[in-house]
Amino acid sequence: MLVMKNINKIFQTADIQTHALRDFCLQVNEGDFVSVTGPSGSGKTTFLNIAGLLETFTDGEFLLDGEAVGQLNDDGRSRMRNEKIGFIFQGFNLIPDLNLYDNVDVPLRYRGFNAKERKRRIEESLERVGLASRLKHLPSQLSGGQQQRVAIARALATSPRFLLADEPTGNLDSEMAQGVMTLLEEINQQGTTIIMVTHDAQLAQRAKRTIQVKDGRVSELEKVTPIMNQAIA
Amino acid sequence: MFNYYLRLAWISILRHWGLSLLMVCAIGLGIGAAMTTVTVNYLMSANPIPEKSQQLYYVQLDSWDVNHPFNDGLSPPDQMTFTDATNLMRAKKAFRQNVQAQAFGVIEPENPDMLPLIVYGRANSADFFPMFNVPFIYGSGWSSTSDDNKEFVVVLSKKTNEKLFGGEDSVGKSIKLEGNIFRVVGVIDNWQPKPRFYDISTGAFNDSEDIFVPFHLIVDEKISRSGNTNCWKPAGDGFQAFLASECIWTQFWVELKTQQDKSDYLQFLNAYVQEQKQFGRFQRPIDNRLSNVMQWLESQEVVADDAQMMMAMSFMFLIVCLLNTVGLLLAKFLGKAPEIGLRQALGASKRTLFSQYIIESACIGILGGILGLILAYLGLQGIEILYGDSMKDLATLDSNMATLAVLLALFSTILAGLYPTWRACNIQPAQQLKSQ
Amino acid sequence: MLETGLILRALVRNKIGAMLIALQIALTMAIMVNAIFMIQDRQQQMQRASGLDEVNTFYLTNTIFGQDYNIISHLQTDLNMIRNTPGVVDAIQINAVPLSGSGWSMALQHQPGEDQDAVGSAIYMVDEHAINSMGLELIAGTNFSQADVEIRKDGQSTWPAKTIITKAFAQNLYPDDWQSAIGKTVYISQNQPMQIIGVIKAMQAPWNGWNGVERSMLVPFHRESKGGYYFIRTEPGQRDALMPIIEKALAESDKERIIRRVTTVEETRKRSYQQQNATNKILMTVVITLTLITGFGIVGLAIFSINRRTKQIGTRRALGATKGQIMRYFMMENFLISSVGILIGSVGAVALNMWLVNTFNLSPISFELVAFGVVVLFIVGQLAVLYPARKAAMIPPATATRTV
Repeated sequence: MLVMKNINKIFQTADIQTHALRDFCLQVNEGDFVSVTGPSGSGKTTFLNIAGLLETFTDGEFLLDGEAVGQLNDDGRSRMRNEKIGFIFQGFNLIPDLNLYDNVDVPLRYRGFNAKERKRRIEESLERVGLASRLKHLPSQLSGGQQQRVAIARALATSPRFLLADEPTGNLDSEMAQGVMTLLEEINQQGTTIIMVTHDAQLAQRAKRTIQVKDGRVSELEKVTPIMNQAIA
Repeated sequence: MFNYYLRLAWISILRHWGLSLLMVCAIGLGIGAAMTTVTVNYLMSANPIPEKSQQLYYVQLDSWDVNHPFNDGLSPPDQMTFTDATNLMRAKKAFRQNVQAQAFGVIEPENPDMLPLIVYGRANSADFFPMFNVPFIYGSGWSSTSDDNKEFVVVLSKKTNEKLFGGEDSVGKSIKLEGNIFRVVGVIDNWQPKPRFYDISTGAFNDSEDIFVPFHLIVDEKISRSGNTNCWKPAGDGFQAFLASECIWTQFWVELKTQQDKSDYLQFLNAYVQEQKQFGRFQRPIDNRLSNVMQWLESQEVVADDAQMMMAMSFMFLIVCLLNTVGLLLAKFLGKAPEIGLRQALGASKRTLFSQYIIESACIGILGGILGLILAYLGLQGIEILYGDSMKDLATLDSNMATLAVLLALFSTILAGLYPTWRACNIQPAQQLKSQ
Repeated sequence: MLETGLILRALVRNKIGAMLIALQIALTMAIMVNAIFMIQDRQQQMQRASGLDEVNTFYLTNTIFGQDYNIISHLQTDLNMIRNTPGVVDAIQINAVPLSGSGWSMALQHQPGEDQDAVGSAIYMVDEHAINSMGLELIAGTNFSQADVEIRKDGQSTWPAKTIITKAFAQNLYPDDWQSAIGKTVYISQNQPMQIIGVIKAMQAPWNGWNGVERSMLVPFHRESKGGYYFIRTEPGQRDALMPIIEKALAESDKERIIRRVTTVEETRKRSYQQQNATNKILMTVVITLTLITGFGIVGLAIFSINRRTKQIGTRRALGATKGQIMRYFMMENFLISSVGILIGSVGAVALNMWLVNTFNLSPISFELVAFGVVVLFIVGQLAVLYPARKAAMIPPATATRTV
């Protein structure tokens, strides 16, 4: 379970203060699939960074699986990211110098699994995304959709409780995007909680729950009909 | 277009000033070290008398011990016995010939207030002066008649003339040297051949002498002999016995106009040695040599080992600096992959990109070259200070060397820039533009 | 080791950059090891003892230009005057000074005859005060007596009947037992017999570059010559004060000679080794600059490669890498590259040394020195990469979600 209470995030530069999140409150339950929408600059990415422990927040309370994240130091946050959270990025963020096998291996190394366990997990997760036959390929030899599947495999390899996706289909054409979305739905059905930031209203609709971020605040949207949805977009 | 590339290069150099500084410093240090040592080697191996170095020959005869050959038999003795030098002088078979040795003495100035002066001199034949193109301010060398008549004549260096006569024309005046009165016949202008090729027996880079006197004065014991003496057979008592001995202490030079003259002279030397063998001398196989100036300097290994070793080291140093630069340029150019992709998308051809980045490399090279020049200048000063007299006048940067420094920097940096530039030009534009 | 395999595979994809650093390290190591070796070699040369009491001795040249000058009686007067000057321990006339660069040499042989092999040695013409005047140490046999000292005219070819030689020379002549040299007859100038009456611990020849620099002999001669040296030893601490006093006393005592080059033995040593000293300083500068260049080169390249991999590092952080793990990654990467460079460098150092041995007659380097080079370059590499690695560790994990 993920609980945020009155989270504030203020970016301070030399002469301007930006209030990226204001009294941000959210609860995401086990097994949920939440899509986060909102206009550019609304605070979506900041929310995701904080939720994923990539950034710290200015004040407020944030419990991840009952643990108060605000108390953790940098190493503690690293560990928690590694154990509980999987990431999927818009730009895939695969390491170009490493082949698929080694790319999926990266978080497992940090986790400290032994070689046998790592091998099992890498093969299993690449199997899940349908790329088991291309272990030795480099990222540059794959299409965008395939690269994102590798990224998903990498995120799944550590068996995270939460999967955070930042515009996972942003760099993909609609056919590939549908494929990735279907894969995410499968993963969610198998029990992983997913939080997905997207600006694509149609994809957002496929989530179990949709929230909108605007000016650093949350507003919950009811499941709406496609016609209504268009009105919002 | 060139100006545009130059401006781009400048912007890029300033934008990554830390990296640029690192590269300029690396090249500067490499070039500085290389140029310092190259200059020292260049001056050490310089031709001190280019206009006639091909016509002047140093004469070597193998008069040494049959049981213990000189230099293990690899080369004949490096000086000549008095007997042979006298015989060769008398034969007069060359266009010019000169026998010489080092000498020293004390000059007692006429002015009683002046202290006596120890002078280092050369005792030589009349031909010495025209042979070695010695420049005169006043007067000239003595004539061979003066040699024949055993006259007490002297040629002064500019410095000695300044000390004794305040620098004025002293030709015809006299000095008291070792108790004898000598007539001044000439004053030499500044003349410091480096190496001091005409006599390297006590060091190749010594200064030229304070005074020059006829060789016969040594023979007549009117002035003291100095320099190297090497004997393989006991000489016997007294100076006359020494003169007649197999000890080597004179140097013999000849001037020969043509190759024909040279082979004729060599033939003459061989005939001479053959003749001497009848008197029980020259028991080793005939090994007479005529070496022109550069051959002589080379055979005597005038360029110090240290200088050569330093040059080798400094070139390896330069290679390290260049590898450094290749690495940094590669990093820099590949770091610009997105920009290169964009330029290609906007219509830049590989050739134009190549020009742009080679020009950027060249700019760094020129800056490095200038820094290198400054460092070489400082390095040479340092060498002069550290080595003292032995490096005097051997550590100066002339325009040849300065040009070479900048060209070497430019050339080596462009060379260093080739691979990184090639890599940069082969960046695929599509990939760069797609995946940000 | 944690990620060695992963790092290696990533490095293989980026061979050229890594090879450039490795090559640089290799060359640096080859040069460094050989330069340090040459420095040590020269240092050892310079540390050889001359055998003299260097701190308390000086000498000067005495050049006579007067005609009809009684050299021997003036010599006696001069020596008496100098020896009786308060603060002077002793003084002699001598024909050459150790390490000064100019002197005389003769050869000794076991049997008389032209065809016999002879061993060359520096020859010093002195009287019975020599050992005291120069601070030499007689370790076997006896000193000359006053009666042994003969007058030598310029150009004289006969030699005294007695000689004192250095231990090194005795070892050369009698390799089995140097002490057996005492009392032996040797031949100088091919056929003149000479008896070795004493052995001194050490006294160097005038030429520091000569391989026989430790071989010297003393013969009892007073030279009747127009040029020569007086060599003077003083009580500790008195030397500098006595130098001008004795120069003045000699110069003023008669006007038919010139006293010049009043020089301490310490100064002579300094001049003698000026070239070695200078070369060492230059080599030292080369080693230090080279190490700095290589070090900064590593820093520059590492910073660049880290800048290029910012996103990648952010992603690693997002995937759970701690700061320490990121730092370790880059330190390990440098360690691997350094290892390759150092391996090549060790071979290169030996190869360069072999070339130097052939070209410049140097001796071969020791294993310890190569090992030293290995350690130093590993340390340099790790130190150089420390700052860039820290910089990498500071890259925030949120970089991963940034789109540009």
